[in-house]
Amino acid sequence: MSEKRTGVFVCHCGNNIAATVDVKKVSEAMAQEGNVVFSKDYVYMCSDPGQNSVIQAIKENNLDSVVVSCCSPNLHEGTFRENAERAGISGFTCEIANIREQCAWVHKDRAEATEKAIKISRSAIRRVAGNKKLDPIAVPVTRRAMVIGGGIAGIQAALDMANAGLDVVLVEKLATLGGHMLQLSETFPTLDCSQCILSPKMVEVSRHPKIKLMTYSEVQEVSGSVGNFEVKVLKKPTFVDAETCKMCDDCAQVCPQVVPNEHDLGLTARRAIYIPFAQAIPASYTLDESACLGLNPIRCGKCKDVCEAGAINYDMRPEIVTENVGAIVVATGFDLYPQEKILEYGAGNVEDVLDGLQFERLCSASGPTQGHVKRPSDRAEPKEVVFIQCVGSRDPANHCAYCSKICCMYTAKHARLYKHHVPDGKAYVFYIDIRSGGKNYEEFVQRAMEEDETVYLRGRVSKLHRTKDGKVRVMGVDTLTGLNVEIDADMVVLALAMEPSQGTADAARVLKIGRDKDGFLAEAHPKLKPVESVTGGIYLAGCAQGPKDIPETVSQASAAASKVLALLSKPTLSHAPTIARVRNSHCTGCEMCVTACPYEAIRLENGKAVVNEVLCEGCGSCSATCLRAAIEVKNTSPMQVHEMIEACLSF
Amino acid sequence: MINVQDIRDTARDLLAKGEVRAVIGWRAGTRGAAAEPCVIHAPEEAASLVWDPTCVHNLALYLVNDRKELVHAKKTADKPIAIVAKGCDARAIVVLLQEHYFKREDVHIIGVSCENSGVIDTRKAAPLLKGFAPTAIAFDGDDFAVTTAKGQQTLASREVMADRCLECRTPFPKESNSVLGEDKSGRDFAPQFAALQRFEEQDEAARWEFWQRQFDRCIRCFACRSVCPMCFCDECVVDSIEMKIAPETTAEEKANRIRWIERSAVRSENATYHMTRALHLAGRCVDCGECERVCPVNIPLRLLNTKMEREARETFGFEPGASIGGPSLVASFRDDDPGEFIR
Amino acid sequence: MSEQQNYEPKIVAFLCKWCSSAGSDLAGVSRIQYPANATPIQVPCSGSVSPMYILSALKKGADGVLVSGCHIGDCHYIEGNFLARRKLHLVKEMLRFVGIEENRFRMSWVSAAEGAKFAEVVKEFVEDLRPLGPQEQLKAKRA
Repeated sequence: MSEKRTGVFVCHCGNNIAATVDVKKVSEAMAQEGNVVFSKDYVYMCSDPGQNSVIQAIKENNLDSVVVSCCSPNLHEGTFRENAERAGISGFTCEIANIREQCAWVHKDRAEATEKAIKISRSAIRRVAGNKKLDPIAVPVTRRAMVIGGGIAGIQAALDMANAGLDVVLVEKLATLGGHMLQLSETFPTLDCSQCILSPKMVEVSRHPKIKLMTYSEVQEVSGSVGNFEVKVLKKPTFVDAETCKMCDDCAQVCPQVVPNEHDLGLTARRAIYIPFAQAIPASYTLDESACLGLNPIRCGKCKDVCEAGAINYDMRPEIVTENVGAIVVATGFDLYPQEKILEYGAGNVEDVLDGLQFERLCSASGPTQGHVKRPSDRAEPKEVVFIQCVGSRDPANHCAYCSKICCMYTAKHARLYKHHVPDGKAYVFYIDIRSGGKNYEEFVQRAMEEDETVYLRGRVSKLHRTKDGKVRVMGVDTLTGLNVEIDADMVVLALAMEPSQGTADAARVLKIGRDKDGFLAEAHPKLKPVESVTGGIYLAGCAQGPKDIPETVSQASAAASKVLALLSKPTLSHAPTIARVRNSHCTGCEMCVTACPYEAIRLENGKAVVNEVLCEGCGSCSATCLRAAIEVKNTSPMQVHEMIEACLSF
Repeated sequence: MINVQDIRDTARDLLAKGEVRAVIGWRAGTRGAAAEPCVIHAPEEAASLVWDPTCVHNLALYLVNDRKELVHAKKTADKPIAIVAKGCDARAIVVLLQEHYFKREDVHIIGVSCENSGVIDTRKAAPLLKGFAPTAIAFDGDDFAVTTAKGQQTLASREVMADRCLECRTPFPKESNSVLGEDKSGRDFAPQFAALQRFEEQDEAARWEFWQRQFDRCIRCFACRSVCPMCFCDECVVDSIEMKIAPETTAEEKANRIRWIERSAVRSENATYHMTRALHLAGRCVDCGECERVCPVNIPLRLLNTKMEREARETFGFEPGASIGGPSLVASFRDDDPGEFIR
Repeated sequence: MSEQQNYEPKIVAFLCKWCSSAGSDLAGVSRIQYPANATPIQVPCSGSVSPMYILSALKKGADGVLVSGCHIGDCHYIEGNFLARRKLHLVKEMLRFVGIEENRFRMSWVSAAEGAKFAEVVKEFVEDLRPLGPQEQLKAKRA
């Protein structure tokens, strides 16, 4: 390998490394290595004095490369590379030897750990010997963003970005904005009306000059990478021209086809041509093709006949719209864990056993009962209602292992709303624990118990069934008294777990971003990068990333928006220069790398492979596939790996 | 049975009409009964072409050499070059086309079918000839007519044919501009991978014991690599002896060739060399068997190559040399590739 | 006898940057102890591991070689591990074919969340290598 002047800096990390690894010995051993002209150890290399000592050593010893034996490169590679730049050498000639996470912390035997630390450090010296000074690649960016999902998360992110001057495309799968929040009656902990706080934001989106709203649309294909994505969006036909539609409802009046209304979770019905609810945005009707008799005047055609505005057009066809954006916020939300999977509570087949969202609709002034709590079976006012928490959650054996986070709060809210609607009714809540962390949350739950006299029973409900006299018998146990409890309730409300929506699964697949073990979108770092996906330029907001309540969703949406704004604040992005390089002398143009490249970043030109340096991510699939050693990733070349293998076996 | 005159006529016509600049084929050798590869440029030379059971060579190699010469001389050819190609030669050409080594229009393939025959393995024939050296070997129907100092005798081709031909299922050039002989694809003279099967029935220790002896014997003459049309790289990845120096080769590259394998002909280096070669041929080797034939120390190289061939076919459903357009074995994958071996 | 007892298998571990290296970091953060026999080499992706790396490590005297990447479907580079799976299957088969003990080459999928699994993979590998003794078959004899 080439002649280098390398400095090695071995960190004690307080006692984190030094307790297991003989750092002095490592530093002394490294001083003996070829290319190494300086070697030292220090208690905290990443501290200010530590970093300054690196700068000083670079200058005094005329170093051109640096190896820092310390913690994982995920933590301080950036720190030390910047530090190297500050000392006037290329950051890409600085390499980290991970002797903490991959060594000191996992081994006890001091001699063994020291030997391994020496090998790891030696390997890093060999790597750095082959490192080239590289300059980041400047990539022009598309200063435009896309938000996928039109619930509160997507609305907030879109508004924040648009208000900061960025052009935004907001894509929503359904015919209207609003998402699940719009189905809610009131919101905890203040009991303000959900629709009253959300509708103005929806209107703002629809009127915003910087926002292009695409409802009834789905993202089909995404290509490109951070700064320059090309997104193909499928615009499904609504068969109604939103501009012309006068919202007179004449079409729905004559439509013969009746189907359950999704917005009311099947508690009401709608026609094939419908508006999900009066305040829908965009304010227009949609003709549901799957429910319609056939989009054909011969089959039916009543809506078209009756529409005075002439807004209905049966000839509308699906349309693929291509949008170029620099960043994407995924806010595809949640679904409730399906009641069908809860066999112990009747798998959705017991009448008057509702899920949380259905209960929200019963309480809502715009809901199926105009805000009077009536049970679906006989429209009677329920006098005893049982609320069951943790349904489908915190149950690793049968359902979801995780805590769905918001159910304690919304159950307390449900109990309170119920009591406000039916003051002489009785509300019971079965719970495992009450998790009410959050501003004014605990107080809210206390009020449910004290002011609204909700009976909280600590225990699980083992089963429930319908009795002959039209009640739902709930059998459970109160673990605080140890007594079995049996309640003949008029209605039961299940606090079902939140799970990632189908749209979230679809988005993950199309965007090729990771999901965690529960199917929620994976963040790049659980603590420090909670709104970034692992793919550059794709950000996460709302329940698609994990269960959360509205304030948290809004915060995360704003955080995602601010990340996008920061990303797109400059006209160019810097792309890592550690990308593939073709050795023309060896390339035979066999095209194997072209086939192997996951990014379509390689093409043949005049019989030689040519790498698109913006598309290349430096994965090295090309290099391992090439039979002719004609392509390699800069700073991870086969030569370097060859030397590192030797270093790893050097004892 | 192909009439050799048809091959000569085809070659002569192509050269006479100026459709090709040369024809790669076989002519009679100067020693014994062995044909040898040749490149002819004039129509009258066509009369020297032969077609007999000693046409063992994979002529695709000479297409590779031809292209290398052109590149070296910085010339482009104005006309294609023609090649007489058996089934296996044609499969090799297909792999070369798949890897864009040259373009389809650069080569004119005169296909010859082995029909129900193949090339001779003279080592198998020797005992039957009672020590007399053959002076001529010709096709006699599907069998071989062998002339020695003792006169002419007919040898059953199934008994003296090369193993690779016995196992060959496609003795017909699937890719060609013109073809002579009948397509007998699907013929089944001997079970495929039989030797492989037998070998794999041994245990680990016995397998190593076997290969260790083979690897120990290798003299690293690189005949296997030199004769292989697929080994067309200018600088072999395992080579730390030679290095191709191009204008853009940096001083650092010159100084720092990766010594994946040392030049000494010892077991570790030989073993790594042969395994690397077999891995690099995976999905590319068409089992022409030339490497094994030319090995001066009788290393059963087909065993290594057919091992990869069987993996490609049985594990990944991949057939080398089957089509020009498809992706390479190791540059592609299927979602259901086996992964049980991964923890 | 005593040599056999003192024998510590030397392992070269190629870890992909995004999953397995991060997983081994997590093992560290969780202080999960495992044998010190495996020295890691961080590579961008399991798909970047050339068969040459594995043969070379064995030739340089590794007793075992580990390649670890992201689970299928989780590859940071979308499909690098699919390519690795096919390519390294061939390497595995080739080694097996010439009679190198199967346990000398190992592949695993370890995600960034599987610190414990990483420790387990190394532990098992060391345990499986111990009875095999030093790898002499492909190891170059130094003059």
